[in-house]
Amino acid sequence: MRTPDRLSYAGTALRWHRGRTLLTLLAMGIGVAAVVVLTSLGDGARRYVSGEFASLGSHLLVILPGRNDTAGGPPAMLGVTPRDLTIADTVALLRSPAVKRVTPIVVGEAPVSWRGRERSVPVLGTTGDFVRIRRWQMARGRFLPDGDPERAEPVCVIGAKIRDELFGSSDPIGEWVRAGQYRFRVIGVLAAGGRSIGVDKEDLVMVPVASAQTMFNNPSLFRVLVEARSRESIQEARTDVLAILRERHQGEEDVTVITQDAVLATFDRILRALTYTVAGIAAISLLVAGILIMNVMLISVSQRTGEIGLLKALGAPGRQILQLFLIEALILSLMGAVIGYLIGNAGSWFIRYLYPSVPAYPPLWASVASILTAMGTGLGFGILPARRAARLDPVAALSRR
Amino acid sequence: MIRLQGISRYFQVGDQSVHALDGVSLDIGAGQYVSIMGPSGSGKSTLLHILGLLDRPTSGRYFLNNRDTTDLDERAQAQARLEQIGFVFQFFHLVPRLTAFDNVALPLVLSGTPPEDRNDRVRQRLEVMGLADRIHHRPEQLSGGQRQRVAIARATIMNPAILLADEPTGNLDRASGKDVVDALEALVQQGITLVVVTHDPDIGSRAARRIHMVDGRVAEDSMPGGLPP
Amino acid sequence: MRFIDLIRLSSSSIFSYRVRSTLTALGIAVGIAAVVLLTSIGEGIHRFVLAEFTQFGTNLIAVNPGKTTTQGTPLGILGTVRPLSLEDAEALARVPYATAVVPVMQGNAEVEGGEHTRRTTVLGVGSEFPQAFSYGVGLGRFLPSDDSLSPRAFAVLGSKLYSELFGKRNPLGEKVRVGSEHYRVIGVMESKGQVLGFDLDDTVYIPAVRALELFNRDSLMEIDVVYEADAPPDEVVGGIKRILSARHGKEDYTITTQQQMLDVLGSVLSVLTFAVGALGGISLFVGGVGILTIMTIAVRERTAEIGLLRALGAAQGQVLLLFLSEAVMLSGMGGVAGLLVGAGGAQLLHLLVPALPVKTPWMYVVLAELVALGVGLITGVVPAHRASRLDPVESLRAE
Ligand SMILES: Nc1ncnc2c1ncn2[C@@H]1O[C@H](COP(=O)(O)OP(=O)(O)O)[C@@H](O)[C@H]1O
Ligand SMILES: [Mg+2]
Repeated sequence: MRTPDRLSYAGTALRWHRGRTLLTLLAMGIGVAAVVVLTSLGDGARRYVSGEFASLGSHLLVILPGRNDTAGGPPAMLGVTPRDLTIADTVALLRSPAVKRVTPIVVGEAPVSWRGRERSVPVLGTTGDFVRIRRWQMARGRFLPDGDPERAEPVCVIGAKIRDELFGSSDPIGEWVRAGQYRFRVIGVLAAGGRSIGVDKEDLVMVPVASAQTMFNNPSLFRVLVEARSRESIQEARTDVLAILRERHQGEEDVTVITQDAVLATFDRILRALTYTVAGIAAISLLVAGILIMNVMLISVSQRTGEIGLLKALGAPGRQILQLFLIEALILSLMGAVIGYLIGNAGSWFIRYLYPSVPAYPPLWASVASILTAMGTGLGFGILPARRAARLDPVAALSRR
Repeated sequence: MIRLQGISRYFQVGDQSVHALDGVSLDIGAGQYVSIMGPSGSGKSTLLHILGLLDRPTSGRYFLNNRDTTDLDERAQAQARLEQIGFVFQFFHLVPRLTAFDNVALPLVLSGTPPEDRNDRVRQRLEVMGLADRIHHRPEQLSGGQRQRVAIARATIMNPAILLADEPTGNLDRASGKDVVDALEALVQQGITLVVVTHDPDIGSRAARRIHMVDGRVAEDSMPGGLPP
Repeated sequence: MRFIDLIRLSSSSIFSYRVRSTLTALGIAVGIAAVVLLTSIGEGIHRFVLAEFTQFGTNLIAVNPGKTTTQGTPLGILGTVRPLSLEDAEALARVPYATAVVPVMQGNAEVEGGEHTRRTTVLGVGSEFPQAFSYGVGLGRFLPSDDSLSPRAFAVLGSKLYSELFGKRNPLGEKVRVGSEHYRVIGVMESKGQVLGFDLDDTVYIPAVRALELFNRDSLMEIDVVYEADAPPDEVVGGIKRILSARHGKEDYTITTQQQMLDVLGSVLSVLTFAVGALGGISLFVGGVGILTIMTIAVRERTAEIGLLRALGAAQGQVLLLFLSEAVMLSGMGGVAGLLVGAGGAQLLHLLVPALPVKTPWMYVVLAELVALGVGLITGVVPAHRASRLDPVESLRAE
């Protein structure tokens, strides 16, 4: 029998029972669409996070004070140690040829006021290199000055939300605000929008790191950001940072260095695992659709017993009848998968429409795997009915009308 | 052409064994027109099924064109049905979703004949059967006699040597039945070997050779040995 | 028609098409099993996490410096111009219903003892720490209730830190160095294991004021207030606010009750359980389409039977009911089978992976069963309606 004849024979059978064919396609379609949409969501989240990390700046290393010997445990996040990580430590890191830029960070909270309006806001103390490492943009004015980081210059940069709440419509540049017990002149406003991991840059006041240390009466740094010269020099920078700090801390290694790549890899792994899990759960519905295909095909075989008997009387061998029914199952599952794939893509388009920042594209592996799984279940569950058809006794089949 | 030697066919029904055929020996020559009559349950259909290689005898031998068929495997049997044997049934057995054309074309489709070679053959067959204006009708749109003629067209589209008909008029009125018998006898004129099972003595008596069956045995044969007396 | 006859009639067709009915119910069963299994895992994790949290008791209130928070962490822990002092902690002892007040300062330092050194967590706390967190002392005793501003240099070791430093030796009376200062070991805590990723056993406990000095800070990170179990939490919170605001002149601190945290955590975890349940629900939905398909086929196939029933005097409503009850019975049977498989699978999973907590939430089980029956009902309506609307004369003519 010629392949086009096989297809058209199976096709007429499927068209003849239009209702059940459409419903079976729907079942398979839902399963595939679910896999496609959910993986596009999972993969979108993964790419979103990757993008966020990329926006942190390139070749970044983060130094946290404190270190735990517990293998695999979380690093000492609060990082309060007897020996402070200092501004001098930060400057010393520039000795390494692998290090391009460094910037120290102090974080805290303080009441900030202007003309009687006061708010408790997050205060971040750092240096001029911060914007270059994190690639932040200014809306107005300029960022904190470069120069000796130990100098506590009374200037600050504010986020858009702080500007709105404290200054309303008046121009903040050049105004003096009070933060804690100190006064700072506003020299810039951070550009609004754009997210940045860990910090809400709209609800933030930034001051020179030395000023923040005085304000919080705390000589230790919260973090140090290090930018390596190139991607290749990240490991070298890490080794150098540890060596320089060990030397400066009397031989004690009391910091944790996290590379951007390592964190990214961890997130990547977690989100990938999550995507696989979700895809797997959704794929259970493909199993259910497969069971339905088997059911419908079994009914088809029993309803078409006479037809099968006739085919045998006309000289069709069992193998040919097996093929005909398998092709029917395969068409059902493949068409269902294609319909589901299209619906799924429409669904992920809709997600992108709703959340433009999430690149929710179904990953290729998921599309391929879901369609193959659909075809696999169609074939797997089609085998039993098809074999039953192939093995029907022609005489018995013909005698039943 | 056909030689049956001591063919028996038993059916096991519960713990009882039914002897549908009980030692039938028969020779049918090429081009013979044979009718098989007998009471219901006498084994006529069973005999036809064995002749058509749809069923295997419990014991005995069946030579088709001097070749022993008892050791043929399923595929070889199917091949023989496709090329050498045509079937016509009491209940037509047309595929309801296929048009007259597609029903007749089925054997060609099964044999892998290319579409361009099918078209004329099928049309011609249907015209011969007087169905030129019914080519694209589905079975439900045809009368009983027309359906049976479609079935005959389908049974003969591969030009088989043997045509087996199991009560082909059993489900038809007299006039349509006559059309069908005429169509079958026209095929005999062209040299086909026709074996027709029937209840109707008028039809049965038209055959050159008349076999009467009772209880799975040949009770009467107007040409024993398959040769004219 | 009597109810029992309705059931008998519809079950007779279910049983006469045994394979078909089994497969249809199987579709629903897989869906229900997925929902039950997934929500069992979700609920198990939910309970596990809540148990981790509540092992310190639920009548706990945390006070942190600073008013603003990002991602749930009070920023004042990192740096503040309004410190929480040890005196604040002592003043909080006067809060009504308070049974224990613990100042907390946490840091990271090198600890040397025995012949080993180890970098580990340092917790500066008060003497009421064990009773506040129902955390027992395994060996020796906990820090004494000295004058909190000039306590003696005593240290208590977490069980893991103890074994890392001293192996199996008796550590009591031994000296340990924490950062640059020397302490005498007076106790070892019982093992608590990891609590939400934080290893309490790999920790050294020293007096809070000494930790402030060690780390050169002037603010505590937290003050924990434990109150009587049956006390009204609002009054306790009110008491804390009264005392601290009087001392500071304004509300420059953040109060978090354990109950608030549990509520937030609980709702996050409930959403999680619901989400996995919904994911499993996709399969249930596909199973529903299966019932729809099979019932549609059944109506076509049994057209003659329907015609006969109508000829015998069955009303349209009765035919409708007959097919509806068939659909609902199919989904109900699938539901029960799925429930058994799902709940059994959850238990089996727990046996195979003891670390994975499972708990079959009965709410979801009932919900899933109702959904299964509902799926049968909804998907049964269209075919049943079609059956009831068949013209009896036409149906009788059907082959
Ligand atoms: N599949 C079967 N199983 C059991 N008995 C059968 C079967 N087929 C035919 N028979 C029995 O064999 C006998 C001959 O049947 P059949 O050849 O159909 O008779 P006829 O066609 O002459 O009416 C009958 O008694 C019938 O009951
Ligand atoms: Mg018969």
